[in-house]
Amino acid sequence: MKRIYFYFSTKLTFDDYVHEHSFALRVIPPETRTQHIVSCELSISPITAVNQTVDAFGNKVTAGYIKGDHRFLDFEIKGTAETDCTRHRTDHLPCYLYQSGFTKPSDGLKALYEQAAAELHTDNITDRVAHFSEVLSEKFTYRKNVTTAHTTAAEAFAAGAGVCQDFSHIMLSLLRMNGIPCRYIAGLAFCDGETHSWIEYFEDGCWKGFDPANNCLVNEDYLVLSQGRDFGDCAIDRGVMFGSYTRQLQLVRSVMKAS
Amino acid sequence: MKEITTPDFTDAIGNANEINELLRRFGVKFGIYKNGEFKEQFFPFDPIPRVIDAEQFADIENGLIQRVDALNSFLYDIYHDKKIVRDGIIPEDFIYISSGYLAQCEGITPKNKIYSHISGIDLVQGKDGEWYILEDNLRIPSGASYPLIARELTRIASPDAFRKNNIVDNRNYADLLCETMEYVNCGGIRAILTPGRYNAAYFEHSYLAEHTGSILVRSDELFVEDNILWHKTYSGQKTRIGVLYRRISDEYLDPLTFLPESLIGIPNLMEAYRSGNVGIINAPGNGVADDKGIYYFVPKMIKYYLGEEPILKNAPTYLPFYEDDRKYVIDNLDRLVIKDVAEAGGYGVVFGSDMTAEKLGNLKDMILSQPRRFIAQEVIDFLDLPILDDGQTVMRKADLRAFVLSGETTRVWASGLTRFSRNPDSFVVNSSQGGGFKDTWVRSL
Repeated sequence: MKRIYFYFSTKLTFDDYVHEHSFALRVIPPETRTQHIVSCELSISPITAVNQTVDAFGNKVTAGYIKGDHRFLDFEIKGTAETDCTRHRTDHLPCYLYQSGFTKPSDGLKALYEQAAAELHTDNITDRVAHFSEVLSEKFTYRKNVTTAHTTAAEAFAAGAGVCQDFSHIMLSLLRMNGIPCRYIAGLAFCDGETHSWIEYFEDGCWKGFDPANNCLVNEDYLVLSQGRDFGDCAIDRGVMFGSYTRQLQLVRSVMKAS
Repeated sequence: MKEITTPDFTDAIGNANEINELLRRFGVKFGIYKNGEFKEQFFPFDPIPRVIDAEQFADIENGLIQRVDALNSFLYDIYHDKKIVRDGIIPEDFIYISSGYLAQCEGITPKNKIYSHISGIDLVQGKDGEWYILEDNLRIPSGASYPLIARELTRIASPDAFRKNNIVDNRNYADLLCETMEYVNCGGIRAILTPGRYNAAYFEHSYLAEHTGSILVRSDELFVEDNILWHKTYSGQKTRIGVLYRRISDEYLDPLTFLPESLIGIPNLMEAYRSGNVGIINAPGNGVADDKGIYYFVPKMIKYYLGEEPILKNAPTYLPFYEDDRKYVIDNLDRLVIKDVAEAGGYGVVFGSDMTAEKLGNLKDMILSQPRRFIAQEVIDFLDLPILDDGQTVMRKADLRAFVLSGETTRVWASGLTRFSRNPDSFVVNSSQGGGFKDTWVRSL
């Protein structure tokens, strides 16, 4: 078990005033068997009333509506948590076995899968996951500004490089082709100034974390914010607003350290 | 029982042109998109009604109620315990590969557990007199307004036909719909959400709003605040909406839950819905139950959930997904009808008998490589109905869309939309394929 301090903030600045702005945030870390949230404080500016619900994937959704003109939306969470990677979550949905919007394989991904699967000599799920990640890290490079938040696994793979989100999507696509139920995780990790993404796979009735971007198992330095079939279910913030000019600039900062 | 004689509605036939002209003036049109262009088509009305006698309709009614009750049980089960999958009645793939299954709806319980409030069930009558179910439409089935307004106008053109014959009055549809909406009202006014006048069924949206006393709204008049759905009034106030009969598809309903690019949705509607603050008609996620692949399993659902034998039959259907069926389909492709499960509105339906050897070969390859994508059915030789064509009575293929409303109880509207093909060689009656419609008269005892 490890006690950690976490902080995450996002500043959205719009080029012009916007109004009737609806938003949904998935930033509050859930209380689970692997992470105990000792304290967590969410603040939103401009100050606005919000409602909390829990979505189909078990994420805490903070929904709000800002009617009047405003030029920014800032939100931050900070708190303390205790993580414990000797324990595992068990909440399961059958849809995690099937390809989803971001993970549908292209011919290129199928070929990669066939090649990787041909070298597989084990039934053990954890070993299979490690093998696919090994193959992926040889074929795919970590590089920023190649892909965007909307890039699918197939598009990222064709580009040859991407960020943690792309590693996760390609990994999910490969594991699902191999019949391993798995899901996308958005969260915070040590040594990362933004949000991080990794995956969980289902083995022996429980979830185990794996970080394909770093080709390693998840340990107690990771804090889950949300989960789902892919990024589409886990976006930290989604919003719809009105205005003549709604282009926005987003600044994100996160801190995770031992407390 | 007295036979209905033609002279009783000759007035109506004689006035067919006037009725059609009135329908045109009321804007009873059907919009379709073809090659990316929106075209509004007049939906031709044929004055010779389809007549169904009371006893026969009672059988259909019982069968439809049974079917819709089973489908509602199925939808609740799929988004909760999934017993029917765990018990091996339906293979898991059929649920989770279906584009109608929405994982975002897992665990949501709509008020009173009703998912399909308004079901449009398509049936045909075979030459042997037997009725067969062709398709279930549990998302946003349209069409009830057409026989409704046609009846209104026919009553004016031909009052004697209704005085002399015992025909069940179908003008109670709005009351049925109102009761159905009120049963899942979570506190507030009733609203019908339309994507706007360029939608194929815009006439129907406005007609039903007027007749049920609901407000007709577009999404930019609505917003969610404090997890409650509100309507912006002209004075800048807001009025709470308790039940929303939405006429836009699931994927566009809430850009913060489904397609982010949707411009016709209401942000955070799903949060209000999940919290039980607004009823949505029909429930999002219903597409998993009217998928053409799931159709095959509906008789099994009736046995599984209700412990009853199905009263109405499915058309004989084969799933290439199963090896035995696949072999049969491949061997008999030239006399079956093949449907692509992802398509709707009469698109993606092909008859083996119409295809060249080369096309049949291509289709076989497609079925073998993607067996889950297709279903195959025996061609039912269904009853022809008389229609007026340039003053002559000719016989054409027709089906019946029956409307089943589920509120406190499940009820069948004693009428329905009879659609016919204007092409003598076609079995496809969908309005988007250029067909016309008739009123459906149910005789009372």
